[in-house]
Amino acid sequence: MKNILLITKREFLTQVKKKSFIILTILAPLLVIAFGAFIAFMLKANETETTINVIDKSKLFQKELKSDENLKYIYVPENSEKQMISGLKEMEGTTGLLIIAPLINQNFDELEKNSKLILNNKIGFETKQQIISDLSEIIRKEKIHALNIQEDQIINLDKKFDLKTESISEDSKVDSDMDFGVKYVLGMILMYATFMFIIIYGVRVMRSVLEEKNNRVVEIIISSVKPFELMMGKILGVTFVALTQFVVWITMAVFGAIFLNTGFAAMKNQIPKGSEEMVDKMDFQQIATEVSHTLLEMNFPLIIIVFIFFFLFGYIFYSSMYAAIGSAVDNETETQQFTLFAIIPLMIGVYGSFTTINNPDGPMGFWLSIIPFTSPVAMVARIPFGVPVWQILLSMFLLIISTILMIYVAGKIYRVGILMYGNKASFKEIWKWLKN
Amino acid sequence: MLIAENVTKTYNSGQKTALSNFSIDVPKGSIYGLLGPNGAGKTSFIRIINQITQADSGEVYIDGEKLKNSHIQDIGYMPEERGLYKNMTVGDQLLYFGELKGMTKNQALHEAKYWFEQLNIDQWWKKKLSELSKGMAQKIQFVVTVLHQPKLLILDEPFSGFDPVNANLIKDQILNLKAKGTTIILSTHRMESVEEMCDYVALINNSKKIIDGKVFDVREKFKKNIFGVTLSNANEELFHVFQKNYKIEALKNENSLLSFEIKNNQNQNQLLSDLMKIGNIRSFDEKIPSMNEVFINAVSEN
Repeated sequence: MKNILLITKREFLTQVKKKSFIILTILAPLLVIAFGAFIAFMLKANETETTINVIDKSKLFQKELKSDENLKYIYVPENSEKQMISGLKEMEGTTGLLIIAPLINQNFDELEKNSKLILNNKIGFETKQQIISDLSEIIRKEKIHALNIQEDQIINLDKKFDLKTESISEDSKVDSDMDFGVKYVLGMILMYATFMFIIIYGVRVMRSVLEEKNNRVVEIIISSVKPFELMMGKILGVTFVALTQFVVWITMAVFGAIFLNTGFAAMKNQIPKGSEEMVDKMDFQQIATEVSHTLLEMNFPLIIIVFIFFFLFGYIFYSSMYAAIGSAVDNETETQQFTLFAIIPLMIGVYGSFTTINNPDGPMGFWLSIIPFTSPVAMVARIPFGVPVWQILLSMFLLIISTILMIYVAGKIYRVGILMYGNKASFKEIWKWLKN
Repeated sequence: MLIAENVTKTYNSGQKTALSNFSIDVPKGSIYGLLGPNGAGKTSFIRIINQITQADSGEVYIDGEKLKNSHIQDIGYMPEERGLYKNMTVGDQLLYFGELKGMTKNQALHEAKYWFEQLNIDQWWKKKLSELSKGMAQKIQFVVTVLHQPKLLILDEPFSGFDPVNANLIKDQILNLKAKGTTIILSTHRMESVEEMCDYVALINNSKKIIDGKVFDVREKFKKNIFGVTLSNANEELFHVFQKNYKIEALKNENSLLSFEIKNNQNQNQLLSDLMKIGNIRSFDEKIPSMNEVFINAVSEN
């Protein structure tokens, strides 16, 4: 035990002291933010202003088609139609000419049939959709007007049946859409955190094993400690490295949030309060309360316990697999064939959970969260929706058993593998090591 | 100090034998040479002593006790494949390995200081290994091996990779340790590099021990009673007569010195007095076989 701690300490200190670790830990959140900003910028940069000339023979649209920053409507007189069509090619700033047919005898279908958009350049899909929706809305209003009814009446007609659901059993309370959304997002975040953690730090364990093997230092160490102690010390050391990184990131996120909040509040105070903004704010507050209400209603101690459990055991399960892989090969390029075994089950867990999350209690969701290879991610994705206790316990039990088994198997491979220099082990050889 | 009894080790479920019925007895405070070509089974045996692998059958005793976990602290092992952590400072590294061998931090620090003074390397403490030259790293490697004052020191190919200056330095330190009572096992395939240091040897070939014992005895066993003679002012006529009575080989006549080898199974004093009649004796010595020759002869005998 003392040896494991010594190894853990060394592993932790050397990894944490590395410049690359310090830089990555500090820069990663900034990079994420910068990346997000960059994506937003690219979306923005791809937007172009589209100018459409409009000839409105129906006289219905004159005042109704409103330009915005992306789409600009310019009305041109009816009599310039021919001139406009022939000159369209030369008009560089203009994307197209929208000709709206006259409305005869309230025949809206005829109007629709005879109207057309003549294009100079290509038009973006979204812009076209915007024009269509602008036109539809106006036509709709006109139709309502023509039918001589009030708009409220139409809205009332369109209203969906609001079915209230009530459940007698407390456990299977039916979620509102908002509840579902909150749980979905929480589940996905927890699942992705687990998934990324296992892969990133599992590979780190593998690298560390490889490094010792390549340095040839491993034989000296295992003349002092048992290979198993070395492996476990390494896994634990890397765990602490990960936890350190997490703590730093969470601290950064909290400080960032506080900073943004105060900054945001200060900004809001400066803006005069318009009525529109009030409405927006109300909405936002309502959503916020509903979200926090959903969050508060969840069984957080259980979620946290389950998350930490599956997170840690899943990590130990997979990183011992990674340690075995690192010991069986000679350099990093040779690891690929074996790392597939560690990645594919996790991928199945992640993408499986994506597809099953609409019905988290379905058979697929059940099996994914019970089988130890996928349960670390799948159970974590399911847990915000509430999982029957017996399933959690069964899954935990199976994961503990298979983690112990995996450590045992990995330890066996590791023991032989670390002293094999110069050649990559084949599956056949690894099987032999296991049988010895 | 160390006794191995009928140690057998196989790999690949018995298909490859690394050691078969291997027995040796290493006396306390001696330097014991484990000699044999690559792949003979030396490293396998050493790994068994270090409890890196287990023997299939047979027993190893240290100070009369069956090999057990706590013996690890009494052994210092320098493997053939040398290596240390490249990104750690020399100091951290020494403390780490010392602690792994059960020392406290202070003990490790104290011992490391002693060795750094001995080897004249005290300015390296804070350097990373990657900043040191190969020769420097080798010294550190040696210090790592002996830091915890092992009772039994095992050096696998001790001088491979060392430059002559460092090799001599290490040689002196090994002899020092021996004088302090440390038992030392040297394993190598380059027999000439250690033969003059060893008190005892065991020759291994193809997983079997061929011969073992005191270096002197082993050599005696394989000597062929050949004597080397160098004469000056030799009388040619008398030498002619002499040649008829004795079997002479490797005859050379250079710079008016006559040198040759004689195989003589009879009385050496008679031989000497016969030689004295021919000319002035410059040198006369018995040709003792080198370990290499012993090995080759021993292998061909088996």
